[in-house]
Amino acid sequence: MKKKMVLVTSKYERFVHWMLAISCLLLCYTGLGIMFKELNFLGVIFGGLQGLVTVHDIMAVVFAISLVLAILMWWKEAGLFTFPEDWEWIKAAGGYLWHLDHVPETGKYNPGQKMFFLTVALCGLMMVGTGFFMWYPTILPAALMNWVYVLHVLGFVVIFAFFFVHLYLGTIGNPGSVSAMLSGKMELPVLRMLHPKWVKEMEHEGKLVVIEEDK
Amino acid sequence: MTQKIKLYDASKCTACRGCQLACKQWNGLQAGQTQQEGTYQNPPSLQPNTYMIIHFQDYVSPEGDIKWLFRKEACMHCTNAGCVTVCPSGALYYNKELGTVGMDRDKCIGCKECMTACPFEVPKYDKKTEKVYKCDMCESRITNNMTPACVKACPTGALRWVDKEEAVKIAEARVQKLGGDSHIYGDKFVGGTHMMYVLPEKTDVYQGIKKDPKVSFALTVWKSWLKPLSLLAAGGVIGGSLLHYFIHGPHKPHPEHYDQDDKKQGGV
Repeated sequence: MKKKMVLVTSKYERFVHWMLAISCLLLCYTGLGIMFKELNFLGVIFGGLQGLVTVHDIMAVVFAISLVLAILMWWKEAGLFTFPEDWEWIKAAGGYLWHLDHVPETGKYNPGQKMFFLTVALCGLMMVGTGFFMWYPTILPAALMNWVYVLHVLGFVVIFAFFFVHLYLGTIGNPGSVSAMLSGKMELPVLRMLHPKWVKEMEHEGKLVVIEEDK
Repeated sequence: MTQKIKLYDASKCTACRGCQLACKQWNGLQAGQTQQEGTYQNPPSLQPNTYMIIHFQDYVSPEGDIKWLFRKEACMHCTNAGCVTVCPSGALYYNKELGTVGMDRDKCIGCKECMTACPFEVPKYDKKTEKVYKCDMCESRITNNMTPACVKACPTGALRWVDKEEAVKIAEARVQKLGGDSHIYGDKFVGGTHMMYVLPEKTDVYQGIKKDPKVSFALTVWKSWLKPLSLLAAGGVIGGSLLHYFIHGPHKPHPEHYDQDDKKQGGV
Protein backbone atom coordinates (compact mmCIF):
# COMPACT_ATOMS: atom_id res chain seq x y z
CA MET A 1 0.00 0.00 0.00
CA LYS A 2 1.19 3.46 -0.82
CA LYS A 3 0.97 6.69 1.13
CA LYS A 4 -0.54 9.69 -0.61
CA MET A 5 1.65 12.72 0.11
CA VAL A 6 1.10 16.38 -0.73
CA LEU A 7 3.83 19.01 -0.86
CA VAL A 8 2.70 21.73 1.57
CA THR A 9 5.78 23.89 2.14
CA SER A 10 8.55 25.13 -0.14
CA LYS A 11 12.26 24.75 0.56
CA TYR A 12 12.47 28.48 1.19
CA GLU A 13 9.66 28.34 3.76
CA ARG A 14 11.36 25.51 5.60
CA PHE A 15 14.70 27.30 5.51
CA VAL A 16 13.25 30.49 7.00
CA HIS A 17 11.27 28.49 9.56
CA TRP A 18 14.36 26.68 10.83
CA MET A 19 16.56 29.75 10.80
CA LEU A 20 13.91 31.50 12.91
CA ALA A 21 13.44 28.46 15.14
CA ILE A 22 17.11 27.82 15.82
CA SER A 23 17.93 31.47 16.49
CA CYS A 24 14.84 31.80 18.70
CA LEU A 25 15.70 28.71 20.74
CA LEU A 26 19.31 29.78 21.17
CA LEU A 27 18.07 33.21 22.28
CA CYS A 28 15.73 31.59 24.82
CA TYR A 29 18.52 29.34 26.10
CA THR A 30 21.15 32.07 26.38
CA GLY A 31 18.57 34.58 27.70
CA LEU A 32 17.57 32.18 30.48
CA GLY A 33 21.22 31.69 31.40
CA ILE A 34 21.79 35.43 31.54
CA MET A 35 18.59 36.38 33.38
CA PHE A 36 18.71 33.75 36.14
CA LYS A 37 21.81 33.82 38.33
CA GLU A 38 20.87 30.24 39.24
CA LEU A 39 21.10 29.28 35.54
CA ASN A 40 24.42 31.00 34.83
CA PHE A 41 25.90 27.50 34.48
CA LEU A 42 24.12 27.17 31.10
CA GLY A 43 27.03 29.27 29.84
CA VAL A 44 29.52 26.45 30.40
CA ILE A 45 29.09 25.12 26.85
CA PHE A 46 29.83 28.58 25.45
CA GLY A 47 32.84 29.18 27.66
CA GLY A 48 31.10 31.06 30.46
CA LEU A 49 28.56 33.80 30.99
CA GLN A 50 30.35 36.12 28.58
CA GLY A 51 29.90 33.43 25.91
CA LEU A 52 26.13 33.46 26.50
CA VAL A 53 26.09 37.20 25.87
CA THR A 54 28.11 36.84 22.66
CA VAL A 55 25.83 34.07 21.32
CA HIS A 56 22.75 36.09 22.36
CA ASP A 57 24.02 39.15 20.49
CA ILE A 58 24.83 37.21 17.30
CA MET A 59 21.59 35.22 17.33
CA ALA A 60 19.65 38.45 17.86
CA VAL A 61 20.76 39.57 14.39
CA VAL A 62 19.96 36.17 12.81
CA PHE A 63 16.55 36.24 14.53
CA ALA A 64 15.81 39.77 13.35
CA ILE A 65 16.60 38.87 9.73
CA SER A 66 14.65 35.61 9.73
CA LEU A 67 11.73 37.28 11.48
CA VAL A 68 11.45 39.88 8.73
CA LEU A 69 11.67 37.15 6.07
CA ALA A 70 9.01 35.08 7.88
CA ILE A 71 6.64 38.02 8.19
CA LEU A 72 7.06 38.97 4.51
CA MET A 73 6.49 35.35 3.51
CA TRP A 74 3.53 34.44 5.71
CA TRP A 75 1.60 37.56 6.69
CA LYS A 76 -0.93 37.25 3.88
CA GLU A 77 -1.67 33.59 4.52
CA ALA A 78 -1.27 33.44 8.29
CA GLY A 79 -1.56 37.02 9.45
CA LEU A 80 -5.11 37.84 8.38
CA PHE A 81 -8.27 36.31 9.79
CA THR A 82 -11.13 35.43 7.45
CA PHE A 83 -14.54 35.87 8.96
CA PRO A 84 -16.94 34.25 9.67
CA GLU A 85 -15.29 30.85 9.13
CA ASP A 86 -12.34 31.57 11.47
CA TRP A 87 -14.78 32.71 14.12
CA GLU A 88 -16.63 29.40 13.95
CA TRP A 89 -13.35 27.56 14.49
CA ILE A 90 -12.42 29.74 17.45
CA LYS A 91 -15.83 29.15 19.07
CA ALA A 92 -15.22 25.41 18.76
CA ALA A 93 -11.61 25.82 20.01
CA GLY A 94 -10.60 23.91 16.91
CA GLY A 95 -11.91 20.71 18.45
CA TYR A 96 -8.89 20.60 20.74
CA LEU A 97 -10.61 21.05 24.08
CA TRP A 98 -13.84 19.04 23.87
CA HIS A 99 -15.06 16.31 21.58
CA LEU A 100 -16.61 17.39 18.30
CA ASP A 101 -17.88 15.21 15.49
CA HIS A 102 -17.19 17.90 12.99
CA VAL A 103 -14.58 20.66 13.42
CA PRO A 104 -15.45 23.86 11.52
CA GLU A 105 -13.44 23.84 8.29
CA THR A 106 -10.70 26.37 7.72
CA GLY A 107 -8.18 27.12 5.00
CA LYS A 108 -4.44 26.64 4.77
CA TYR A 109 -3.86 28.08 8.23
CA ASN A 110 -6.41 27.70 11.00
CA PRO A 111 -7.01 30.57 13.47
CA GLY A 112 -4.83 28.85 16.07
CA GLN A 113 -1.91 28.86 13.68
CA LYS A 114 -2.69 32.44 12.75
CA MET A 115 -2.67 33.45 16.39
CA PHE A 116 0.68 31.75 16.84
CA PHE A 117 2.09 33.52 13.79
CA LEU A 118 0.82 36.89 14.97
CA THR A 119 2.17 36.33 18.47
CA VAL A 120 5.61 35.42 17.16
CA ALA A 121 5.57 38.31 14.69
CA LEU A 122 4.47 40.97 17.18
CA CYS A 123 6.40 39.72 20.21
CA GLY A 124 9.39 39.07 17.97
CA LEU A 125 9.36 42.63 16.65
CA MET A 126 9.06 43.87 20.21
CA MET A 127 12.05 41.75 21.24
CA VAL A 128 14.12 43.12 18.36
CA GLY A 129 13.12 46.70 19.18
CA THR A 130 13.67 46.48 22.93
CA GLY A 131 16.84 44.45 22.40
CA PHE A 132 18.29 47.19 20.24
CA PHE A 133 17.85 49.72 23.03
CA MET A 134 19.43 47.27 25.48
CA TRP A 135 22.59 47.52 23.39
CA TYR A 136 22.49 51.32 23.74
CA PRO A 137 20.62 51.90 27.01
CA THR A 138 21.64 55.53 27.37
CA ILE A 139 19.73 56.65 24.25
CA LEU A 140 16.46 56.68 26.18
CA PRO A 141 15.90 58.35 29.57
CA ALA A 142 16.39 55.83 32.40
CA ALA A 143 12.77 56.18 33.56
CA LEU A 144 11.64 54.87 30.16
CA MET A 145 14.52 52.46 29.66
CA ASN A 146 13.61 50.59 32.86
CA TRP A 147 10.30 49.64 31.20
CA VAL A 148 12.07 48.55 28.01
CA TYR A 149 13.68 45.76 30.05
CA VAL A 150 10.23 44.83 31.39
CA LEU A 151 8.90 44.55 27.82
CA HIS A 152 11.84 42.38 26.80
CA VAL A 153 11.11 39.95 29.63
CA LEU A 154 7.36 40.08 28.96
CA GLY A 155 8.04 39.10 25.34
CA PHE A 156 10.14 36.22 26.59
CA VAL A 157 7.38 34.99 28.91
CA VAL A 158 4.97 34.85 25.96
CA ILE A 159 7.36 33.42 23.34
CA PHE A 160 8.85 30.79 25.65
CA ALA A 161 5.42 29.50 26.69
CA PHE A 162 4.08 29.59 23.12
CA PHE A 163 7.10 27.65 21.92
CA PHE A 164 5.98 24.59 23.90
CA VAL A 165 2.42 24.90 22.57
CA HIS A 166 3.86 25.01 19.06
CA LEU A 167 6.16 22.06 19.76
CA TYR A 168 3.30 19.94 21.10
CA LEU A 169 0.75 20.77 18.39
CA GLY A 170 3.34 20.44 15.65
CA THR A 171 4.48 16.98 16.73
CA ILE A 172 2.67 14.49 18.95
CA GLY A 173 -0.48 16.59 19.32
CA ASN A 174 -1.14 16.32 15.58
CA PRO A 175 0.52 13.15 14.32
CA GLY A 176 1.62 13.51 10.70
CA SER A 177 2.07 17.27 10.77
CA VAL A 178 5.75 17.54 11.68
CA SER A 179 6.80 16.27 8.24
CA ALA A 180 5.56 19.57 6.78
CA MET A 181 8.66 21.19 8.19
CA LEU A 182 11.03 18.29 7.48
CA SER A 183 10.35 16.83 4.02
CA GLY A 184 7.76 19.50 3.30
CA LYS A 185 5.11 16.87 2.63
CA MET A 186 2.03 15.80 4.55
CA GLU A 187 -0.18 12.77 4.17
CA LEU A 188 -3.39 13.59 2.29
CA PRO A 189 -5.80 12.15 4.91
CA VAL A 190 -4.09 14.18 7.65
CA LEU A 191 -4.34 17.23 5.45
CA ARG A 192 -8.03 16.53 4.82
CA MET A 193 -8.59 16.45 8.55
CA LEU A 194 -6.54 19.53 9.49
CA HIS A 195 -7.02 21.76 6.45
CA PRO A 196 -10.10 20.40 4.64
CA LYS A 197 -11.06 23.65 2.99
CA TRP A 198 -7.57 24.18 1.62
CA VAL A 199 -7.54 20.67 0.08
CA LYS A 200 -10.92 21.34 -1.53
CA GLU A 201 -9.68 24.66 -2.90
CA MET A 202 -6.60 23.02 -4.37
CA GLU A 203 -8.71 20.25 -5.86
CA HIS A 204 -11.09 22.78 -7.31
CA GLU A 205 -8.25 24.76 -8.87
CA GLY A 206 -6.58 21.57 -10.02
CA LYS A 207 -3.46 22.35 -8.00
CA LEU A 208 -3.53 19.31 -5.75
CA VAL A 209 -0.53 17.18 -6.65
CA VAL A 210 -0.48 13.83 -4.91
CA ILE A 211 2.84 12.03 -4.65
CA GLU A 212 2.69 8.33 -3.94
CA GLU A 213 5.29 7.02 -1.56
CA ASP A 214 5.97 3.53 -0.25
CA LYS A 215 4.82 3.02 3.29
CA MET B 1 30.99 44.58 62.34
CA THR B 2 28.40 47.29 62.02
CA GLN B 3 27.31 49.17 58.93
CA LYS B 4 29.52 52.09 58.04
CA ILE B 5 28.82 55.42 56.42
CA LYS B 6 31.02 57.73 54.40
CA LEU B 7 29.84 61.08 55.68
CA TYR B 8 30.49 64.07 53.44
CA ASP B 9 30.04 67.45 55.11
CA ALA B 10 29.83 69.91 52.21
CA SER B 11 30.17 72.83 54.63
CA LYS B 12 33.69 71.70 55.51
CA CYS B 13 34.78 70.90 51.96
CA THR B 14 37.30 73.27 50.37
CA ALA B 15 37.24 71.40 47.05
CA CYS B 16 40.94 70.70 47.17
CA ARG B 17 40.18 67.50 45.27
CA GLY B 18 42.69 65.52 47.26
CA CYS B 19 39.99 62.82 47.52
CA GLN B 20 39.59 62.74 43.76
CA LEU B 21 43.31 62.16 43.28
CA ALA B 22 43.59 59.61 46.10
CA CYS B 23 40.70 57.71 44.47
CA LYS B 24 42.54 57.56 41.15
CA GLN B 25 45.75 56.55 42.87
CA TRP B 26 44.37 53.73 45.02
CA ASN B 27 42.24 52.31 42.21
CA GLY B 28 44.98 52.71 39.61
CA LEU B 29 42.83 54.85 37.32
CA GLN B 30 44.34 56.90 34.52
CA ALA B 31 43.33 60.46 33.81
CA GLY B 32 41.63 61.31 30.55
CA GLN B 33 42.32 64.49 28.62
CA THR B 34 39.61 67.10 29.06
CA GLN B 35 39.00 70.68 27.94
CA GLN B 36 38.81 73.81 30.01
CA GLU B 37 35.13 74.65 30.27
CA GLY B 38 35.31 77.65 32.51
CA THR B 39 35.13 75.70 35.77
CA TYR B 40 37.48 73.94 38.14
CA GLN B 41 35.22 70.93 37.92
CA ASN B 42 37.20 68.35 36.02
CA PRO B 43 36.40 65.93 34.50
CA PRO B 44 32.87 67.26 33.90
CA SER B 45 31.16 64.04 35.07
CA LEU B 46 31.84 60.55 36.38
CA GLN B 47 33.77 58.40 33.88
CA PRO B 48 34.74 54.74 33.69
CA ASN B 49 38.12 55.86 35.05
CA THR B 50 36.74 58.49 37.45
CA TYR B 51 34.77 57.00 40.33
CA MET B 52 34.22 60.33 42.09
CA ILE B 53 34.30 64.02 41.32
CA ILE B 54 33.87 67.24 43.24
CA HIS B 55 31.17 69.46 41.71
CA PHE B 56 31.94 73.19 41.57
CA GLN B 57 28.91 75.46 41.36
CA ASP B 58 28.44 79.22 41.44
CA TYR B 59 25.27 79.96 43.33
CA VAL B 60 23.45 83.23 43.93
CA SER B 61 21.28 82.91 47.01
CA PRO B 62 17.84 84.61 47.18
CA GLU B 63 19.48 87.25 49.43
CA GLY B 64 21.90 88.08 46.65
CA ASP B 65 24.99 86.49 48.17
CA ILE B 66 27.29 84.69 45.76
CA LYS B 67 28.38 81.34 47.06
CA TRP B 68 30.64 78.61 45.78
CA LEU B 69 28.99 75.26 46.40
CA PHE B 70 30.87 72.00 46.41
CA ARG B 71 29.51 68.47 46.30
CA LYS B 72 31.22 65.12 46.11
CA GLU B 73 29.54 62.81 43.60
CA ALA B 74 30.18 59.06 43.70
CA CYS B 75 28.33 55.81 44.21
CA MET B 76 25.88 56.30 47.08
CA HIS B 77 26.00 52.63 48.16
CA CYS B 78 22.23 52.20 48.56
CA THR B 79 20.75 49.79 51.07
CA ASN B 80 18.17 48.87 48.44
CA ALA B 81 20.43 49.05 45.38
CA GLY B 82 18.82 48.83 41.94
CA CYS B 83 22.14 47.81 40.40
CA VAL B 84 22.47 44.74 42.65
CA THR B 85 18.84 43.80 41.92
CA VAL B 86 19.37 43.72 38.15
CA CYS B 87 22.98 42.50 37.90
CA PRO B 88 22.68 39.07 36.23
CA SER B 89 26.20 37.86 36.92
CA GLY B 90 26.70 38.62 40.61
CA ALA B 91 29.39 41.17 39.72
CA LEU B 92 27.60 43.75 41.88
CA TYR B 93 26.93 42.64 45.44
CA TYR B 94 26.31 43.91 48.95
CA ASN B 95 29.12 43.84 51.45
CA LYS B 96 26.94 42.18 54.08
CA GLU B 97 28.90 43.48 57.05
CA LEU B 98 29.45 47.08 56.06
CA GLY B 99 26.40 47.56 53.84
CA THR B 100 28.36 48.99 50.91
CA VAL B 101 27.96 47.87 47.28
CA GLY B 102 31.06 46.09 46.01
CA MET B 103 31.96 45.05 42.50
CA ASP B 104 33.79 42.01 41.17
CA ARG B 105 34.89 43.23 37.76
CA ASP B 106 35.94 39.78 36.55
CA LYS B 107 32.29 38.73 36.71
CA CYS B 108 30.95 41.80 34.86
CA ILE B 109 29.60 40.89 31.40
CA GLY B 110 29.02 44.48 30.29
CA CYS B 111 25.24 44.10 29.90
CA LYS B 112 24.77 47.71 31.12
CA GLU B 113 21.58 46.84 33.01
CA CYS B 114 22.91 48.50 36.18
CA MET B 115 23.37 51.80 34.31
CA THR B 116 19.60 52.09 33.83
CA ALA B 117 18.66 50.67 37.22
CA CYS B 118 20.84 53.05 39.26
CA PRO B 119 18.74 56.03 40.43
CA PHE B 120 21.93 58.12 40.65
CA GLU B 121 23.29 57.25 37.16
CA VAL B 122 26.59 56.18 38.68
CA PRO B 123 27.84 53.07 36.81
CA LYS B 124 29.80 53.96 33.67
CA TYR B 125 30.55 51.65 30.75
CA ASP B 126 33.99 51.42 29.18
CA LYS B 127 33.90 50.49 25.48
CA LYS B 128 37.49 49.27 25.52
CA THR B 129 37.17 46.74 28.33
CA GLU B 130 33.41 46.18 27.73
CA LYS B 131 32.81 46.38 31.45
CA VAL B 132 31.13 48.76 33.90
CA TYR B 133 32.99 50.77 36.53
CA LYS B 134 31.95 52.44 39.77
CA CYS B 135 33.20 53.26 43.28
CA ASP B 136 33.31 50.17 45.51
CA MET B 137 34.09 52.25 48.62
CA CYS B 138 37.67 50.92 48.39
CA GLU B 139 36.54 47.48 49.44
CA SER B 140 40.10 46.24 49.58
CA ARG B 141 40.79 48.88 52.24
CA ILE B 142 37.58 48.89 54.30
CA THR B 143 37.63 45.10 54.72
CA ASN B 144 41.12 45.50 56.20
CA ASN B 145 40.18 48.10 58.81
CA MET B 146 41.32 51.05 56.73
CA THR B 147 39.28 54.04 55.62
CA PRO B 148 38.40 54.58 51.94
CA ALA B 149 41.21 56.36 50.07
CA CYS B 150 39.18 59.55 49.64
CA VAL B 151 38.51 59.76 53.38
CA LYS B 152 42.16 59.13 54.14
CA ALA B 153 43.18 62.02 51.90
CA CYS B 154 40.68 64.60 53.21
CA PRO B 155 42.56 67.33 55.12
CA THR B 156 39.54 69.21 56.53
CA GLY B 157 37.43 66.47 58.04
CA ALA B 158 34.73 66.96 55.42
CA LEU B 159 34.92 63.23 54.72
CA ARG B 160 34.62 60.75 57.56
CA TRP B 161 34.26 56.96 57.72
CA VAL B 162 32.13 56.14 60.75
CA ASP B 163 29.62 53.63 62.13
CA LYS B 164 26.11 54.27 60.87
CA GLU B 165 24.59 55.33 64.20
CA GLU B 166 27.46 57.63 64.94
CA ALA B 167 27.32 59.11 61.45
CA VAL B 168 23.67 60.07 61.89
CA LYS B 169 24.44 61.66 65.28
CA ILE B 170 27.37 63.64 63.89
CA ALA B 171 25.30 64.76 60.90
CA GLU B 172 22.35 65.82 63.09
CA ALA B 173 24.61 67.79 65.40
CA ARG B 174 26.23 69.47 62.42
CA VAL B 175 22.88 70.39 60.88
CA GLN B 176 21.77 71.89 64.19
CA LYS B 177 24.93 73.96 64.38
CA LEU B 178 24.76 75.17 60.78
CA GLY B 179 21.03 75.96 60.98
CA GLY B 180 19.24 77.62 58.05
CA ASP B 181 18.53 75.31 55.13
CA SER B 182 21.19 72.80 56.13
CA HIS B 183 20.05 69.18 56.16
CA ILE B 184 21.06 65.55 55.83
CA TYR B 185 20.89 63.93 52.40
CA GLY B 186 20.95 60.13 52.09
CA ASP B 187 19.26 58.91 55.26
CA LYS B 188 15.73 58.54 53.88
CA PHE B 189 15.50 57.25 50.29
CA VAL B 190 16.41 53.81 48.81
CA GLY B 191 16.58 52.34 52.31
CA GLY B 192 19.29 54.82 53.27
CA THR B 193 22.60 55.22 51.48
CA HIS B 194 26.07 54.42 52.76
CA MET B 195 27.34 57.75 51.60
CA MET B 196 25.52 60.60 53.31
CA TYR B 197 25.80 64.32 52.84
CA VAL B 198 25.45 67.26 55.16
CA LEU B 199 24.34 70.00 52.77
CA PRO B 200 24.29 73.65 53.92
CA GLU B 201 21.74 74.66 51.25
CA LYS B 202 18.40 73.18 50.12
CA THR B 203 18.72 70.00 48.05
CA ASP B 204 17.26 71.47 44.86
CA VAL B 205 19.91 74.21 44.84
CA TYR B 206 22.58 71.66 43.95
CA GLN B 207 23.06 71.01 40.24
CA GLY B 208 22.82 67.40 39.08
CA ILE B 209 21.61 66.10 42.44
CA LYS B 210 18.71 63.65 42.55
CA LYS B 211 15.95 65.24 44.58
CA ASP B 212 13.87 62.13 45.06
CA PRO B 213 15.89 59.08 43.96
CA LYS B 214 13.81 55.91 43.67
CA VAL B 215 14.43 52.41 42.43
CA SER B 216 11.99 52.11 39.52
CA PHE B 217 8.86 50.01 40.07
CA ALA B 218 9.78 48.41 36.74
CA LEU B 219 12.50 46.45 38.55
CA THR B 220 9.89 44.80 40.78
CA VAL B 221 7.70 43.92 37.79
CA TRP B 222 10.71 42.51 35.98
CA LYS B 223 12.63 40.68 38.67
CA SER B 224 9.94 39.68 41.16
CA TRP B 225 7.00 38.98 38.86
CA LEU B 226 7.89 38.35 35.22
CA LYS B 227 11.15 36.49 35.85
CA PRO B 228 9.57 33.65 37.83
CA LEU B 229 6.47 33.80 35.61
CA SER B 230 8.59 32.90 32.56
CA LEU B 231 9.39 29.49 34.03
CA LEU B 232 5.94 28.99 35.59
CA ALA B 233 4.17 29.73 32.29
CA ALA B 234 6.42 27.40 30.31
CA GLY B 235 6.04 24.67 32.95
CA GLY B 236 2.27 25.12 32.91
CA VAL B 237 2.16 24.80 29.15
CA ILE B 238 4.27 21.63 29.16
CA GLY B 239 2.09 20.13 31.89
CA GLY B 240 -1.07 21.22 30.06
CA SER B 241 0.13 19.70 26.80
CA LEU B 242 0.88 16.36 28.45
CA LEU B 243 -2.52 16.39 30.16
CA HIS B 244 -4.14 17.15 26.83
CA TYR B 245 -2.27 14.30 25.19
CA PHE B 246 -3.40 11.75 27.73
CA ILE B 247 -6.93 12.99 28.44
CA HIS B 248 -8.11 14.38 25.10
CA GLY B 249 -5.64 12.55 22.91
CA PRO B 250 -3.90 13.60 19.72
CA HIS B 251 -5.74 14.71 16.62
CA LYS B 252 -5.99 11.69 14.34
CA PRO B 253 -7.75 11.42 10.96
CA HIS B 254 -11.09 9.55 10.90
CA PRO B 255 -11.46 6.54 8.63
CA GLU B 256 -13.57 8.74 6.37
CA HIS B 257 -10.56 10.92 5.66
CA TYR B 258 -8.82 7.88 4.26
CA ASP B 259 -11.87 6.39 2.51
CA GLN B 260 -12.53 9.58 0.61
CA ASP B 261 -9.36 9.34 -1.43
CA ASP B 262 -9.35 5.58 -1.74
CA LYS B 263 -12.89 5.52 -3.15
CA LYS B 264 -12.01 8.03 -5.79
CA GLN B 265 -9.43 5.66 -7.12
CA GLY B 266 -11.72 2.70 -6.94
CA GLY B 267 -10.78 1.35 -3.57
CA VAL B 268 -7.72 -0.45 -2.30
